[in-house]
Formats: sequence, C-alpha cells, structure tokens
Amino acid sequence: MPDVPLPVRFYRKLIRLYPAGFRENYAEVMEREFRDELDESNGTHAMGRVWIRLLLDLAISVPTQLAREAAQDSRHALRLWIRCPWQTVFAVLALAIGIGANTGLFSVVNALLLRSLPFRDPSRLIVLHSFFAPHESPAQFHGWLRQSTYLADAALVEQGDVNLGGTGEWRRARVAQTTWNFFSLLGTQPVLGRAFAPGEDVAAPFVVGEPGTTGPDAVAVIGYGLWQELYAGDPRALGSIIRLNGWPLLIVGVAPPGFDYPGGAVLWKPARMSPGNNGWETVARLKPGISWAQASAHFEAEAERFWPNRRPIDRLRFPSVMTGLQDDLAGRARKASLVLLACVAAILLLACSNVANLLMARTADRAAELSIRSALGASRARLSQQLLTECVLLSLVSATAGSFVAYWTTAAAAKLQPAALATQVYSILDGRVLAFAIAASTASGLLFGLLPSWYAGRILTFGNRGSSYGRRARLIREALVAAQVAITIVLAAASLATSGAFLRLIRLDRGFNVNGVVSANVALEGTAHQTDAQQLAYLQQVLNQVRRLPGVRSASATESLPLYAIGSIGGRLRMDGRQATENSKVVYVMPDYFRTMGGQILRGREFTESDFQANTAVAVVSERFASEFGDVADAVGREISQGRSRWKVVGVVKGMDYMVQGAEDGHLVASANPNAAGLNQVFFPSRSPGEATIVARVNGRAADYLPMVRDAVRSIDPQVPVFGVKTMEQRVNDALARPQFYRTAVFCLAGVALLLVVIGIFGIVSYAVSRRTHEMGVRMALGSTPAVLRVNLLCQGLITIGLGAAAGVAGAALTGRFLESLVDGARFANPITYAVLVIFIAAIVAAAIWTATRPIARLDIVEIIRTE
Amino acid sequence: MSLKDESNPENLTPLSPAVFHILLSLAEGERHGYALKREIARRTRNKLQLGPGVLYGSINKMLELGLIEESDARPDPHLDDERRRYYRITPLGRKAARAEAARMRELVDLAAVRFGAPKHA
Repeated sequence: MPDVPLPVRFYRKLIRLYPAGFRENYAEVMEREFRDELDESNGTHAMGRVWIRLLLDLAISVPTQLAREAAQDSRHALRLWIRCPWQTVFAVLALAIGIGANTGLFSVVNALLLRSLPFRDPSRLIVLHSFFAPHESPAQFHGWLRQSTYLADAALVEQGDVNLGGTGEWRRARVAQTTWNFFSLLGTQPVLGRAFAPGEDVAAPFVVGEPGTTGPDAVAVIGYGLWQELYAGDPRALGSIIRLNGWPLLIVGVAPPGFDYPGGAVLWKPARMSPGNNGWETVARLKPGISWAQASAHFEAEAERFWPNRRPIDRLRFPSVMTGLQDDLAGRARKASLVLLACVAAILLLACSNVANLLMARTADRAAELSIRSALGASRARLSQQLLTECVLLSLVSATAGSFVAYWTTAAAAKLQPAALATQVYSILDGRVLAFAIAASTASGLLFGLLPSWYAGRILTFGNRGSSYGRRARLIREALVAAQVAITIVLAAASLATSGAFLRLIRLDRGFNVNGVVSANVALEGTAHQTDAQQLAYLQQVLNQVRRLPGVRSASATESLPLYAIGSIGGRLRMDGRQATENSKVVYVMPDYFRTMGGQILRGREFTESDFQANTAVAVVSERFASEFGDVADAVGREISQGRSRWKVVGVVKGMDYMVQGAEDGHLVASANPNAAGLNQVFFPSRSPGEATIVARVNGRAADYLPMVRDAVRSIDPQVPVFGVKTMEQRVNDALARPQFYRTAVFCLAGVALLLVVIGIFGIVSYAVSRRTHEMGVRMALGSTPAVLRVNLLCQGLITIGLGAAAGVAGAALTGRFLESLVDGARFANPITYAVLVIFIAAIVAAAIWTATRPIARLDIVEIIRTE
Repeated sequence: MSLKDESNPENLTPLSPAVFHILLSLAEGERHGYALKREIARRTRNKLQLGPGVLYGSINKMLELGLIEESDARPDPHLDDERRRYYRITPLGRKAARAEAARMRELVDLAAVRFGAPKHA
C-alpha cells in the first residue's frame, strides 16, 4: 500500500501484538488516533515523544489484554469441558499417558546415551570385545600398546566379587583389577591420595589373590562411598590396610564421588597378570584424529591376528567388536529403551490425532454457535485463538498429570534396568528431560490444536455445509484413522510376540521345583576355612545346623545354582571312551541336592554322605548327556572320563535350567531357550566349595524361613559373609522381572492404542453421520433404507481400515527384529495368528462404526426435509 | 471470575484514574476516544496522558462492566470521520463515578483532619 506512510505501517505491525479480540474491536480506531497524533506532532522531538509514549503504552497494555483474553478463553474452555466431562477425561488421560511415558523413557535414553560419561573426552573411549591383546605380563601388554597404530591408551580390566574385610564385618563387594594406567586412561583423578603408578601391575602365578603374597600390586584405590562408609571420610584411611579375600592391600587413593566403573566397583587394585587368564576386558582410547572406520579396520585385523584359526561357532558366539564405551555401558537397555520410546511416541501420536478429532467434532457441533458468533463480529482469528487456548490448557493439564506417569516410568526403569554407572541415574529433573517434556507437550498441543482451529476458520469462511473443503477434511481424517489402525496392529503384533515368548519362559520346565526352597550364598575366600577339607567341613556343619531347624525337610548345597549361567563349562567329556558332541556344564553339589531342589532322578541315585566319606569317584549325568551314548536306562554303572580322571555314573537326572544369562549388569536376564534344561550337565560331589549356595526345602511358605536360615548359617562362623538370602521363587521372579515388565508394557500400550482407535473412529463416524443427516434424509426420500445407508458407511470405513491394516502388517514385519531386545525369543512367527489379530482388530473397529451409525436408523425423513 | 456483584456501583470502587477520568469526561456528553484522551490530558495538565492501548483497554473493560456504551448517533457526520467510535455514560457509570467521588471525598476529609486543609484546590 504505497499511500500508507511508513510509521503507520509499522504501528499496524505493533498492533498485531494485541490478542485477536482486542485487535478486532480497536485496531482501526487506534490507527486513526495514531494518524491524528502524527498530524499534530511537528519536528523530530515531538515525533520521538510520540513514539516513546506509544512504546510505553504497548508495554503496559499488551500483557494486560493478553492476560485478560487468555483468562476469558480459559473460562470458556472450562465451561465446555464441564459440559462433556467424559471427553475431557479421555483427552487428558490419553495425552497424560502419551506425554508422561515419553518423558519417562526419554529420561532413560538421556541418562544412558545422551548425558556424557564422567570421563575425559568420553567419546574417544572404546571397549574391545573378544580381543586378546598380549596379556601374559604387564611388560608384554604395555609393549603392544606402545606400538599401536590406532590406540592412544588402553587398560585391561577384570571385575569380580570378593570378600572385603579388615575393618569390622566381612562383606561381599565388587572389585576390579586393572593395569596401572586405568585411571589416567579415563582421565579420573582420585580425590585423595594417588592412582596406580607404573610397575604396580605385575606378572604373577595364576592364583590371583593368593593369601600371604605381597608385591608392588598390594595397593588399592577405594571408592568414595566405601571411604565414607568404612572410614567416615577420614583422610587417615590412606595408609590403612584393607583385606581382599584375606589378602592385605594398602589404601593409596580414594576415587571421586560417583566413580564406580566397571560394574559398580567399590575398590580397584593393580592387575596381577598371568598367561592362563583370559578374563580381561580391554578399555581403550582412540588416537586423536583417527576415524572410527580406520580404527575399526586396524582393530579387526589385530583381533584376527591375536585369535587365529577361530572356529565359526566361536566367531558367532564371541564376535570381536569395538564398541563406544557409552554404548557398551548402555548394553541391552539401549535398544530396549529406544524400542519402547518408539512405541510410546506412536501412542502419543495416536492420542494427539484422536484429541484433534475430538476437538474437531466438537467444533463441528459448535458450528452453529460459531456461525452466529461470527455473524456477531467474532473473527476467524478470535475463534482460532479460543481453540488454541483450549489446546494449550489441555496440554498443560495433561503435562501435569503426565509428570506422575513420567515419574512412575522412570522409577520402574531404574528398578528393572538400572544404569551401569552411578552417574547415569535416571531422572526427570534434568534440563534436557524437562526441555523434552515441554517440547513434547507443546508439539502435541500444536498437533491436536492446529487442525480444529484451521477447521473453525474454514467453517466461518465457507459456511457449515458441503464444499471441496469437506472432502479434503474427510481424507485427512481417514488417513489419520488408517494410521491409527496401522500403529495399533504393529503394537498388538508386538504384544502378541512378547507375550508368546514370555509364556514360553514361564512354562519352561526348569528341571527343579521352584516352590518351597530357600537359598543363601556363602563365600569362604579370606576366611578361616581355606583348605578343601576345611571348606567341606564348614559346609557340612552349616547343613547340619540348617537341617536341625524346625520345618526344614532337607538341605544341601551347590557350587553353581540353576538360573545362573556362571560356573564352569567342562570340556567334551567321554563315556566309555567315546567323546560327547558338546561341552558339558559341570556342577558340584552336596548330598541330598536333587531331593532338596525337587529335581527328577530318572535312573539310579543321587550322592549320599557315604560318597563323601569314602571319597569315591562318582558322577550323576543329565538325561541329555546320557542319551548321547545310547539308552538312558543303561547309563548307570558306566564310566565317564576326562583326561586321566574317571568317574562311575550312579544316577541320571533331568537337567536343570542353567540358561538364564548371568547378565552383564549383575541382573538376571531370562532366556526362552526351549532346551534350557536340556544342556549337557554332569554333576560331581563338591570337593572345594569356596563359594557355595545353600539350599533348603521347607514346609509351608519359603519366605518365612529366610531369617531363620540366614541366622543358622551365620551361627557357624560370623566371619563368613552370608548373602543372596532368597527363596528360589524370588530368584526366578528376579530373572523374569524384566521380560515380564516389557511384555506387560507392550501389552498395555497395544490395549491403549486399540482403545484410542475405537474411540477415535467412533467419534469420526458419529461426526460424519451428524454432518450428513441432510444427505441421508434425501437418500431415504429417494428410496434408500437406513440399513443400506449404514452398510455403505461401514464399507467406506472398512476400506480405510483395510489400508491401515496392510500398512500395519508391513510395519509389524519391519519392526519385528527389534523385539528380541525386549524379551528373548520374541519374534513374529505365525502368519495365521497375525491374520486372526488383524481380523479381530478390524471386527472391533467395524463394531465401533456400526454403533456410531445407529442414529441413521432413527432418522425421521419428514423432520429432515421440513427443516430445509 | 470476580465474586463481587458488579451491578452494585459500590463494589466497583476504587476506580482506576483512567476509568474515573473517562467517566468524568463522558458526563459532559458523548465523546470519541481521541477526544477523551485530549480532554483528560488537558484536565490533568498532561500528567495523565493515555496511550491508545491503555485508553481502549479501559474502554473495553468499562463496556463490559456496563459503565459506558457505544453510541450509534454521530454528532455531525460531516464533521467527523466515519471510523471514529463514540461512547456515552450509562446510569451505572454515573453511579460508579459518584461512588468513587464520595470515596475520594472521605479520603480528602480524612487528610484535612490529619494534615490540615489544602492551601489551594
């Protein structure tokens, strides 16, 4: 507009800051007055004063008017909500679940993957798996490191649980032994004292922690928490002696607060390296400037060189991989949380599109009111503003409700999938998480608010009936429904797959009776019971004590308890000279073990006291092992051997479930291997039970016996740490907790999705019916029947559902491979099951459509035609 | 939402200076916004200069409260711009202004007792 002076044009822009209602009423007169002011002010000074006054006026009046109209619109929205409380509750719940679950899971992803590790330049830190750098002596290892073309630094680390003592009671604790450069590699400085010095890692005979040996490696850095707990933060802890499995170590440093790498370690000592030990993990820092691809290539070549002629099976089971430290620490949780985050993001999308539909249907209901208001002077902008205020309010209320969901999600995740490091604690009170929550709420507010407010604008522009717009809006809504059906099918299929895998997990025959068994661990390293004879005698005493407890039917002990894939894998044993095709799991047990565990003795007998007293060379084999060598019934009395050792088979038992993974983060992970109990297993009488689990079968509730059994074990020698006092049922539940949670989570999400779809499609069809009442009336006047009209609508709906279902099935097939990260053994297998699932969902949705078209049957043609 | 009964003029006091001055000006007859503004500035010796935002914000509020109303009749269409809007005071507006004046008088009387009578009005 060339005739409008520049200041006026600028003032018009400023007037846009006012809310729509105010602007509509007064923009014109305000501009008029501004022109008057301009006309009356001569000279730069006067003009300057006008502008200053104007800007001050804006600064005061814009916020006032904004607050005023927001309050008005909020009151209006509240009145609307109260008028249809169920719709409101549904919208708030759907959004709260969506926003809350997203925020909660994001806090996990944030802690594991986004928050940087508390180490120097953590992005260059890597872990090398199944990589055997020269590690027979420190000199060999550091020599190799100096020549590395791609690593700036590297350290060997081995972690394990030990008996820690020297100050008061003995306790079990996670410790790590590392090459001397471990702390400098991570860039971590002790808060007190020093880290390890060159030369403190040593080459030694195989026995690690052999009592009585001291060397340069007899030093330790202790964790901050342990320092506070044992020494109350006294600096005189430096120079004190702490005993690790009885072996004295001089405390030289205290790690900074929160430092507990690897695996929640509370104490670090320099490595004692020996040719026989292959249990080292390699942590390293990439050279500056080298790319990931270059480093990978170097690493792979080196890994091949250090492990030549690897068998294909080993290549599969122990792949040499280079992983970023952060990804490595996140482990399984990384994929699991990302998969769940994708699921809940889909739910949030569903919730948004449904709330959008709801608001749109409500807007349509209010079309008459809007048209009248618009005739009375309310503009499209004003009405859009009102709808947007309603949406922002809805978002705010939902986000507040969602924060409870988020808190609960985070707490559940922390319990079921705790982070590897103390500093990775999941929290929603984190800048990035809060920003995410705000972004998620705002984005969803915009998502579900834009369509209805745009629609309100269209109503005012084009009136409330028929137009090209109507067809386009219908297309959008149908696309939304199709997308919802697709997402629901993907989630329902995932739920089916995880549930199936989980059911297989619980129904698994574990080879023992879970009920009525109490278990407790003892570890004898560093205690008064050092020789094999002493350890056996101690265990006998403990068992006698436990057996004397009222209600205890039998008691025994084992060096490796079922459910835990730890313990020794023996080689391929022979029977009558012929070698087995597979390795055997070797399990050492005390007398009465199978009776106590409720195992099944298929042939022969189990070990008795006399086997121990006479020290006879006997063995019990699993059914599977026996069947490798002919009829199971003939196995008793035959001889098994390894090297020069020979044992007589006295019994055949059903194998026990040792397939649960002794997980990387100290938590059990159940695995749905149907052959879990079928692994080759050979049982021998316990000979040197340095670490053992005592098991007792009791009458009545096992949990009631826990304190009694613990006290009985402790009473024999209070110096021996007793830990893991649990019923077997608790142990199984622990192992199943994570898959159960994921399966329940996916199931609930699928349920919520289905509910959202039903509500959504019901709303849409009801809305379509109400909008097309006139058209229906005309059709009926032309001879159509209500039933035909309803079938027509149903068919239209089914086309949409069909398209959504096709997309859903494709999506399910594409996403199937991610499910293994949630529950082992979860995968999409059976096409018939999925066909049934699709038909089931389609039937539910069709029922919703049919119900929504019910008003057509009640249409009164005369009434409709007359209103025209 | 105010819990006060807004049809009772007592409940509307104290009025903001802008609202009170607008009522004072409209008591003499219908005015448009710009005229109100100029008159108020003159009456207060430029101490109260209402910007358009504050002025129309007050007018908007007064319209909602029923203190003033928009007038359809233009004093003289030839003399004035069609786009101007004229306002006139309502009976409730008069009552509210009287209530405010009474409130102020009480204050002035109290001040006179405490500090002595003002030297000039």
